[in-house]
Amino acid sequence: MYSHDVVIVGSGLAGLRAAMELVDHLDVAVVTKVYPSRSHSGAAQGGVAAALGNVDDDTVEAHIYDTVKGSDFLGDQDAIEILCNDAPRTIYEMEHLGCPFSRTADNKLNQRAFGGHSYLRACFSADRTGHALLHTLVEQTYKHGGKLRVYSEWHMNRLIVEDGVCRGIVALDIKTGQLEVLRARAVLFASGGYGQAFKITSNAAANTGDGIVAAYRAGVPLQDMEFVQFHPTGLYEHGILLTEGARGEGGYLINAEGDRFMSRYAPSKMELGPRDIVSRSEQTEINEGRGAGPHKDYVLLDLRHLGRAKIMERLPQVYNLAKDFIGVDCVEEPVPIQPTAHYSMGGIPADNDCQVYLDENGTHVTGFFAAGECSCISVHGANRLGTNSLLEALVFGRRAGKKMLDVVPGLKQAGVDEEGELLAAQQEIEALYAGDGSEDLHAIREELKETMTYQVGVYRCGEDMRQAQSAIAGLRERFRKIQVKDRGGNFNLNLIDALELSNMLEYAELIVDGGLAREESRGAHFRTDFPTRDDVHWLKHTLAFRTDDGGHELRYKPVTITRFEPEERKY
Amino acid sequence: MKYALYTGCVAKGAGRENLVAARLACEKLGIELVEMTDAACCGAGVINEDNPLVADILNARTFALAEAQGLDIMNICTTCQGVHRKAQRKLQSKPEYWTRVNEELERDTGRRYQGEVKVKHFYEVLLHDYGLARLREKVVRPLAGLKLAAFYGCYATRPPEVNDLANPDDPDELEQLIEVLGATPVRYDERLKCCGFPIAMVNKENSMQLGGNAIASAKAAGADAMVTPCPLCHLNLDAYQPEIESQLGRKLRVPILHIPQLVAMALGVPAAALRLGTHIVRPTALMAS
Amino acid sequence: MAAHKLIFRIQRFDPAADREPRDQDFEVELPPGITILKALNKIRAEQDPTLALRYSCGSAICGSCAVKVNGHARLACKTQVSDCADNGVLRVGPIGNLEVLRDLVVDIDPFLESLGRVKPYLVAEDGAAPDHERHQSPEQFLKIDPSTTCILCAACYSDCNVLEVDHSFVGPASLAKAHRFIFDSRDTATFQRLGTISEQTGVWDCTHCGECSTRCPTETKPLERIEEIRTRAMADGFHDNAGARHALGFRETVGKRGLLDENYLPARSMGFGNLPGLLSLVPVGLRMLRRRKNPPLIPPSIDKADEIRKTFARFEELRK
Repeated sequence: MYSHDVVIVGSGLAGLRAAMELVDHLDVAVVTKVYPSRSHSGAAQGGVAAALGNVDDDTVEAHIYDTVKGSDFLGDQDAIEILCNDAPRTIYEMEHLGCPFSRTADNKLNQRAFGGHSYLRACFSADRTGHALLHTLVEQTYKHGGKLRVYSEWHMNRLIVEDGVCRGIVALDIKTGQLEVLRARAVLFASGGYGQAFKITSNAAANTGDGIVAAYRAGVPLQDMEFVQFHPTGLYEHGILLTEGARGEGGYLINAEGDRFMSRYAPSKMELGPRDIVSRSEQTEINEGRGAGPHKDYVLLDLRHLGRAKIMERLPQVYNLAKDFIGVDCVEEPVPIQPTAHYSMGGIPADNDCQVYLDENGTHVTGFFAAGECSCISVHGANRLGTNSLLEALVFGRRAGKKMLDVVPGLKQAGVDEEGELLAAQQEIEALYAGDGSEDLHAIREELKETMTYQVGVYRCGEDMRQAQSAIAGLRERFRKIQVKDRGGNFNLNLIDALELSNMLEYAELIVDGGLAREESRGAHFRTDFPTRDDVHWLKHTLAFRTDDGGHELRYKPVTITRFEPEERKY
Repeated sequence: MKYALYTGCVAKGAGRENLVAARLACEKLGIELVEMTDAACCGAGVINEDNPLVADILNARTFALAEAQGLDIMNICTTCQGVHRKAQRKLQSKPEYWTRVNEELERDTGRRYQGEVKVKHFYEVLLHDYGLARLREKVVRPLAGLKLAAFYGCYATRPPEVNDLANPDDPDELEQLIEVLGATPVRYDERLKCCGFPIAMVNKENSMQLGGNAIASAKAAGADAMVTPCPLCHLNLDAYQPEIESQLGRKLRVPILHIPQLVAMALGVPAAALRLGTHIVRPTALMAS
Repeated sequence: MAAHKLIFRIQRFDPAADREPRDQDFEVELPPGITILKALNKIRAEQDPTLALRYSCGSAICGSCAVKVNGHARLACKTQVSDCADNGVLRVGPIGNLEVLRDLVVDIDPFLESLGRVKPYLVAEDGAAPDHERHQSPEQFLKIDPSTTCILCAACYSDCNVLEVDHSFVGPASLAKAHRFIFDSRDTATFQRLGTISEQTGVWDCTHCGECSTRCPTETKPLERIEEIRTRAMADGFHDNAGARHALGFRETVGKRGLLDENYLPARSMGFGNLPGLLSLVPVGLRMLRRRKNPPLIPPSIDKADEIRKTFARFEELRK
């Protein structure tokens, strides 16, 4: 058994930023399924938002309003105010830590346009902003030398919560196959999103919702799971992200006829409408037969008019991705794109200091925190604005760290039934070997992903989701019959695949059921059978509680509204 | 066929036999060579690190000299070749910088480099300009029975964008040439590795180990000799072979030939004219032939 | 295009079962446009779930999936199978210079630890709670732009020729990381960094083989960064090492006669005060003398060396 004051699960921006806050004061460990530099924060491309006003007269007030409106009024406005108020300080801090940022001619941080933001607000490092920020924090782990313990390539299996008190985690050392209890006075989950349940996704293979499911299985409800963001510019068939910054720099979206179709959907913002609206517009173009390609199943991102020099300076990664993955030279040709599952708005409910809620009444789990994409605080509501996710991870990672610094010295290490916990984790693993092998886990995973993309995607309806619901129930049943074939101890990917699929099947059901219950259209959740927003009945957060039989119960809690009453959302 | 022959420094110093062989081979093939007696050192990637602009001016001067002769350049050293190509590519990709280099060049020499001259290594001339089929016809003394390990050296294959190999990750141009000359090419693991020469003075142990691994690998694959298009590889693998042997603690005794020597021999140039006796590891079997 | 059949020859190694790595052939039928990573995952799904590899983002930014394809390090996720197949066989193995843990998975800790040797973080004086950004010009940003694109995939480390013979060499990725701070206008430790990096096992130990830049899947291109560091170290007067003296030897002899003086250069590189170093040159010198392989005692010169002298005379001026 290992023991630390604080165990942080996840090594992306939120996890590392929290660790930085703690490392000089407490014994802190970071547990990560990959290596810190490989965390998915690094895949964010276009920018990080802050109303610096370096290139126009942007204000924090405008950032707050844009974010509230972008969230389709489901975002909690007190949290959004914190996010936007703290943004300039956060950017300056990262700049001082060494993050390389693209600059203006007068040597300040440059800022570019992004969807749903009414000013040039996105600070950026070419189109590798997440990478630049992540590596800046990874560099800090070297600065802190041996003080920060990093458990790289450990898979987190269980969160230990008893009597409303968090006591640690059970994790699997992927290098040895050994299960271990990591005891802690406080645990922070910064374990990322859950986009892997979709076939067309920009998410890394690691984004299988391990954190949220571990919390859920430990008795924590999950909030707003039905809200999954579809990014408008996923590379066709691959789903790989091509930054919204490409449109921020002036890129067009065109259909097969070469028509800039956004003029019909968001005439004032055009391509820089919020992601939910742009993705739906693309899907409508495709559904109505104006898609490009032999199967008319994609639209095009046209960058040609930007010219080679600008593309190479501002969008080099976009250039390389199109070139390397589908052989398209975006200087010469438009790039085939389609909506791709991108961001999980839902997750572990937490307050503005990242303390996790146990219910809809504001009861906390003692010593359990969540920050970043795995959390739902909720600053993004029903639809996140681009560039607000890197910001959230940094702002709330730091806040979680500060809060833990504040409360952890007053927390005792609660007792842990090590033997019992290890046995439980071991039994969960053994079950994956015990099936008769008549079902194949890869087939189940592919079916799940197709179901989610095609039936719980950009456009949803009751009938599709009911089909998805029964499909997933069937897949869960079939999952019992899979059999892990690899008996090896080290790097047993076969076992990890199975653990991850078990998580995906568990939370996919919550996405579907939350969506089915929510009979309205709001932000990323759009129902063709309930195409309008219904503030009377649905201006509220969904909370899914796990029941003892493995099912769940949906309850709701109100949205925090401080200054901006819901209004019609037009772009 | 006529080329401006760029000798480089080693052909005037510790590798004079390479120049002799290249001249003799070209004579046999009817390839006319005009030696560039005024061309300066390419910088060998070293002057470039001390002062990139000076290195680029030196090389632009060399190119301008060839342009004045109206000839393409033939190199007999892949390091010179690689450095030249890299310099040309750099200038061509940065027009403003090219102009700057030309201004400096003009100030010192009255010349400008226009971008017309091509640089080719001796073996590339044979492969692409002369043609292997034609060369095969000229072979009067096939090197039958000789097992030869081609050692490409770094500059022949890297960076891939400045060489003409069909498949730089797994080239076979030198093997093709060996085969045309009647010898048997031997493939071995280390044929694309570094010989260690550039760090001979910085970290001799590493340099000797790199050279030693290459020779040992060729020997293990059954090679009678190694053959290289780079006289610097030749120097490290040949002149230092006794030191390499003592570091590895084993005898190697693998002769290291220059490509032009091999070509000249197959074309009927007497071994005695090729100064094989100057090699530290003498290719005694070849010398007797 | 239709699917085509191919043999994937994959190096397998399970420390629990194998004493030596072994090759295993998998016949696969692949659709066009498929990457190595997707093909490997197809093999895991359809043929052998025990195949171990690393991958995550699938879009060439996380740096997890470097493997050797046909003997050279590549990112599996961005490498098209169609670019690599060779006579119907495609070889995949773990990256080099690191211990294999299982199949395609290596222990990357030595690689990550090597980064620690170059103080891989910004050193600056300013306080921790800034209320504005530091200024940096777009040109200054562009200087560090290439080296900041590194994704720590270790492809360069894998194929570095020097590391193959000496694991104490700091390595190409670490040097690129050092570059990222040496050339960062905000960093205040440039002098110390250049000093440390000029020492043995540092920037001058690179043999210039070019493997790092050739294998690098990003714009980092370590060799180019190494060259820039050397230029900077030379300019800032870090001359007390064999690599710098070697460069000075070029400057002094080529700058005089247009060609190298191969008798002078080795002694200059060793350092005229370095008696053991000079003595180590004696055997090879005598050996070459005996075979008349020695460079001529009167150094060669080009026809119009005065032109070269003019250029070199302006050396420092041209540096700017």
